[in-house]
Amino acid sequence: MTPPKQPTEADLVILNEAQGAELAVRDLYDAALLVGGFSDVQTSVLISFRNHHTAYAQALNGVLGKSAVNMRSETVYSAYRDQVRASTTALKTLQSLENVLVATHTAIVGLLVGLDAANLMASILIVEARLAAVYGTAPELDLASALDDSAVSLVVASSVEG
Amino acid sequence: MSSQLSRRDLFRLGGIGIISTTLLAACSKNNGTSDNAIASIGTIPPNTSLPTAEVTDVVLLRTAASLEYAAIDLYSTLLDAGYLSGDFAAVAAIARRFRDDHAAHAASSNSLVLKLGGQAFECANSRFTSLAITPAIALISTPENPDVALDAVTLAHAIETVCAQMQQGFVGLYSDPVLRGAAINVGQNNARHAVILAQMLNPGLSGVEPSTEPATGVSKVFAVPSAFGGLAIVRVPLGPPNAEGVKTSITMETPSLNALTYEFVSC
Repeated sequence: MTPPKQPTEADLVILNEAQGAELAVRDLYDAALLVGGFSDVQTSVLISFRNHHTAYAQALNGVLGKSAVNMRSETVYSAYRDQVRASTTALKTLQSLENVLVATHTAIVGLLVGLDAANLMASILIVEARLAAVYGTAPELDLASALDDSAVSLVVASSVEG
Repeated sequence: MSSQLSRRDLFRLGGIGIISTTLLAACSKNNGTSDNAIASIGTIPPNTSLPTAEVTDVVLLRTAASLEYAAIDLYSTLLDAGYLSGDFAAVAAIARRFRDDHAAHAASSNSLVLKLGGQAFECANSRFTSLAITPAIALISTPENPDVALDAVTLAHAIETVCAQMQQGFVGLYSDPVLRGAAINVGQNNARHAVILAQMLNPGLSGVEPSTEPATGVSKVFAVPSAFGGLAIVRVPLGPPNAEGVKTSITMETPSLNALTYEFVSC
């Protein structure tokens, strides 16, 4: 049977979770940038990465349509807010966030029935993996972390089944 | 005696000709062909029908494995030939790690093939190798090439990019969501490889986003080409530069219908 292109009702639930996570990460980049302490080139790259997450949330809006909640995940935001505000842990935390998004979206791709949304999520997470790896190549962090994709997904089976 | 034919004679002769031809055709030997067969000289070879080439989940998984094997073979070639040296000597250790990762990716794809009742494919994609890797290696190994190590890393970066793109592209082709998740999980790992190699070629945060060489205007290799993962053709400049300083460009793209590892394809 050919998979449907449009997201199913169950797909919409998990896509809203993905959008909430993207909006939370965008706000966490803002929180880190507000504190500052980065070089000009670092700031430029961080703003660019932040804008990527805005683009992802907007793209998910397009797939979700009227079902879009368009609210950041407070769970994600509050869990990482203090760490991104500390200059010593900001970059490492932002890398962890990218890795969490990669793990989450990978799990979501494995659950989505609608092909359009699956394609979109794939095109998002493959770049988020790149963003995570970029942090690993920075002198402040170690190269091995660029390949560390062992983060745990935010999506749990119960939320999908519900 | 008059040699002129009258109009009536012409009609008569024409009629006799038509009747004779019809009689001869009716009496001729059939040679076992059907009544509808077109007469021909010689023996017609029987038609050989092509095997059924259906794009199934198994075919996609086998193709994914075949491209991972192409990457394994490429790293082995670069390491065995000693191309990763000089300024890029540090890449040799990275290449060994990446080769191991690709072996794990291929094994993962093949284990899914076996689960689906298919036959594992454990060698490189021959079409991709012949169209991209073989000519690329030939360019790199040209004696006049002044940038052997640079080109070797550039080629490795390109194959990582193509491997990541392939897995992303296959997400939209698999019928089973579980296979889509497995594919993109491998793809994101390949994308990380591409970033590390991009940073070797164009280091620092200035090498993260698209930029060009100030002198030539040629696009540099960068870590994050765009906000969303693309599936565009990858052009790889390799080999000795010409008088204008431009290298030969090899084109790489993700396997399409004519490069898939169908179930009738064997190593």
